Amino acid sequence: MGSLYSEHLTWLHRWPAGRKLACMALLGTLLFLLSAPWALALAALACALLWRSLGPATRVARRLMVSVLAAALLVAVFHLWMGRPDVAAVSALRLACASTLGVALTVSTRPTDLLLVLDALLAPLARLGLQPGRVSLQLALMLRFTEHFFVQWKRLDEAHRLRTGRPGGLRLIAPLTVQMLQRAQRVADALYARLGE
Amino acid sequence: MTTAVSRKTSHSMALVALFAALMAVMGLIPKIDLPLGVPITLQSLGVMLAGCLLGARRGFQAMLLFLAAVAAGLPLLAGGRGGLGVFMAPSAGYLVGYALAAGVTGALMRLLPQGTPLRTAASAFAASVLGGLVFLHAMGIAGLVLLAQMPLDKALLADLVFVPGDLVKCVLCAVVVHTVARALPDWPFGGRER
Repeated sequence: MGSLYSEHLTWLHRWPAGRKLACMALLGTLLFLLSAPWALALAALACALLWRSLGPATRVARRLMVSVLAAALLVAVFHLWMGRPDVAAVSALRLACASTLGVALTVSTRPTDLLLVLDALLAPLARLGLQPGRVSLQLALMLRFTEHFFVQWKRLDEAHRLRTGRPGGLRLIAPLTVQMLQRAQRVADALYARLGE
Repeated sequence: MTTAVSRKTSHSMALVALFAALMAVMGLIPKIDLPLGVPITLQSLGVMLAGCLLGARRGFQAMLLFLAAVAAGLPLLAGGRGGLGVFMAPSAGYLVGYALAAGVTGALMRLLPQGTPLRTAASAFAASVLGGLVFLHAMGIAGLVLLAQMPLDKALLADLVFVPGDLVKCVLCAVVVHTVARALPDWPFGGRER
């Protein structure tokens, strides 16, 4: 399971993740405040230039972008069909711009760097009882569990095949759920043993 | 990780991570694309299960954790989508709705009767229909109207396509809850105190 991060270094890779995130939030809000088609067309041009400037780094996200543009096009066609060409232009351009910004951030920033920014942003909440370290631990746990789901499913499926000669299919959902819930209890015990009071 | 955790907290942490992982697994199952950029996915089943099995608070946290991972750029949404861009797509209303819908489903599950496994399953069905279907779809429609500038009646129509599939998911959720209620009789459905 890879992320959409691209190893092709671009000028945007050199920006700190925090600055990119702040720009993204600002520009994203601005996009939703703009409502004149010409202004959004300018924004779309700027986004296209941004995309161009990232060069080969955008390759990993090309399929994603095509599907986003197809969705934007469908929204536009829908509004044209409703007889609202202005709304068609505005909503399609806005979608395309916002998605380009998001993808540009994603291909140029490592997920771990974004998590560090998230950690820093959550730090003030520590005084309210929410611990950023715990969020990171939970993300790591989540990824580990995701893998474990597949391992467990395969094991159950093999056992079922041995008994009946057929693949288990949907019948395995029930035992899988129960096993995973019990596994979570054991992980909880382990966490308590390591971190408990 | 410097502070100590209580038994209850470590329990919550493991379960929250487990259900966030369940959402990720359901996203890795191939999706069916519909026009207007809203795909059919198994992920709403994950929302219902999180609500019914974890309760409002932890279900909500599990969805937040999953959405945080998505926002950080992991391609965990159906079809390998991820990153901040998806929160500005037409279907963003459904994404934000995941967290709130898990909360609503959990709160309802807590209120509904759970005497026998069968009664628990019936309650899970009702809670998923109201929280995971009606509420989640209302959020999705709001997203379509606000983000894709779609008129309300058209957004409603676009959304209706998903209702039959999601009703099937409500039944599946009830079946899973029934199994869990039989296998783990003291499971705190809807986050009830034991």
